[in-house]
Amino acid sequence: MRTLAKTIDLVAAFDASPNPYMLLDAELRYAGMNQAYLDVTQRRREELLDQPVMQEFDAGPGQEAQENARQLLASFEKVLATGKPDHLAVLHYPIPVPQDDGTTTYEDRYWSCTHTPIKDVEGRVTHILQHTSDITELERLRRQVGRLRPADPSSALDSLIGGGMFRRAMSVQADNRRLETERRQLLDMFMQTPGFVAVLNGPQHVIQLHNGAYGQLIGHRDVIGKPIREALPELAGQGFYDFLDEVLATGEPCQGRQSPVQLQQTPDGLLATRYLNFIYQPIRNDAGTIMGVFVQGHDVTDTVLAAERQKLMIDELNHRVKNTLATVQSIAMQTARSHEDPRSFAETFQSRILSLSHTHDLLTRSHWEGADLREVLEHETTAHGLHRLTLNGPNVALDPAMAVSLGMIFHELATNAAKYGALSSGDGRVLVDWSVANQTHPQLGIVWRETGGPSVTVPERRGFGSRLIERNVRHDLAGTVQMQYRDDGFTAEITIPLSKEAA
Amino acid sequence: MTNALQGRRVLVIEDESLVAMLLETILDDMGCTVVGPESNIDDGLIAATTEASLDAALLDVNVAGREVFPVAEALRARGVPFVFSTGYGEAGLPEHWRGNPTIQKPFTEGAIRDALMKAMNISLA
Repeated sequence: MRTLAKTIDLVAAFDASPNPYMLLDAELRYAGMNQAYLDVTQRRREELLDQPVMQEFDAGPGQEAQENARQLLASFEKVLATGKPDHLAVLHYPIPVPQDDGTTTYEDRYWSCTHTPIKDVEGRVTHILQHTSDITELERLRRQVGRLRPADPSSALDSLIGGGMFRRAMSVQADNRRLETERRQLLDMFMQTPGFVAVLNGPQHVIQLHNGAYGQLIGHRDVIGKPIREALPELAGQGFYDFLDEVLATGEPCQGRQSPVQLQQTPDGLLATRYLNFIYQPIRNDAGTIMGVFVQGHDVTDTVLAAERQKLMIDELNHRVKNTLATVQSIAMQTARSHEDPRSFAETFQSRILSLSHTHDLLTRSHWEGADLREVLEHETTAHGLHRLTLNGPNVALDPAMAVSLGMIFHELATNAAKYGALSSGDGRVLVDWSVANQTHPQLGIVWRETGGPSVTVPERRGFGSRLIERNVRHDLAGTVQMQYRDDGFTAEITIPLSKEAA
Repeated sequence: MTNALQGRRVLVIEDESLVAMLLETILDDMGCTVVGPESNIDDGLIAATTEASLDAALLDVNVAGREVFPVAEALRARGVPFVFSTGYGEAGLPEHWRGNPTIQKPFTEGAIRDALMKAMNISLA
């Protein structure tokens, strides 16, 4: 207005314009208007100057009038608050017309208005300029057509009668509403997305906005309005500040995959390691200048830890498989040395492999947590007839390595008994007794005693079977074994520590 | 092939008795004298530091849930060459120990002989 006041030509032009204009001050009082405005409102300048606009034009009586007045006032207030122009495409606003008899009647009118803020040097809105068009005739016509053709409100006829300007005005207003709704929906999505999102502003990366997931990641600290180095000081030396600086400097996005980060997730707590997939993208204004960084990503810690656990399990599986293969290789080689006949080699080799396999079955049933001693014994001896073996002892839980070793040992003992000992003749029997002594460092004592078999002779050379038993007990089980070839039957006494610490 | 390994004293560390027996048999066939076999790290360390004369060692990497590397360090300090045996192969070794002769389970007699000779710097010529 400063410029207008000083430029006489402009003031004259304003007054001479066929378009109605009026000017309000920040209290919404009339500060000025042109002749066209006075003509269209049928008022005089001196009546209106310095008067509150909402008092001079109260929109008339009735429920609808209140709503119309509210709509007009809202538009003025929006301009004052935002400093931006506002448009009312269609405003239903009757105007008071004083009659000769002193009464006032209201003339029904429709308007299309634009409210433009006028600012002082500090940018404060001091005035509002209203440019208004009387669109009463257009609107009446449109409504009549609407009543005639209610099923087709957006018809070509409507467009024709409504005219380009009117339609454009309506569409701008609808667009604004739609954009505002979309903006709010986007913001909602942004705030509720399961991934973390934040907006960092300026060279100091001031946190302007972040969503719930981001809040959770940083332990719900109050970081809004703080530069990142102050908001999340624990990130120092972890490379993230540098990435942000780089995005601002180069305008190139920066990505991280499964990047470890140490974060303070609880007040005064220890730093927690999280793994993040993230992307930093530059935010540009309309001129293309980089204004800040858009941060988004996901916490993938659970995925990373699961992958690590899986790798450990695969390594352990590989270790076991390769060791088992080496064991099988050893059994093959040692068996071959004592069996020149291929058929007897195959038979002995297979029975040893099957024994190993049976113990694995037992352990698989317990998810490789262990097996019970009696179960292992029964597994290896049932093939020789349950009634010929007496198993007597308490429940003893064996860890997987012990179960595998004892399985092989019992297999060799039973095979030997079937070939040369008590189980090779009709009347022989095997008694297996076991007990656990010394509760502090439990020792498992097992006695294998054969009776009723053919008379026993000490073998000329130690076969693989007896070497396997001795080595297994001593080497794998850290125990002792005594095998005696007595006249009345073979015996083996095995003592092994049950707890690893005692081994 | 000569009897290049004849009479060599080879320390064996291996926790599974059947695998140890296999190594013993193979080394025996090559004319080597087996020291041990030891089934755990503690006994392995004692043997590695106190055995009067050792020409080489065969070291299982994962010995009853513990890694054999302290024994390898002790042997290196004494200048005794060694070969790792592992189910993972050389790729399963930490960076520090890669490049050391390694045999992968299950193994052949030839692989053991080659690895030992490489470790002891004996040429086949």
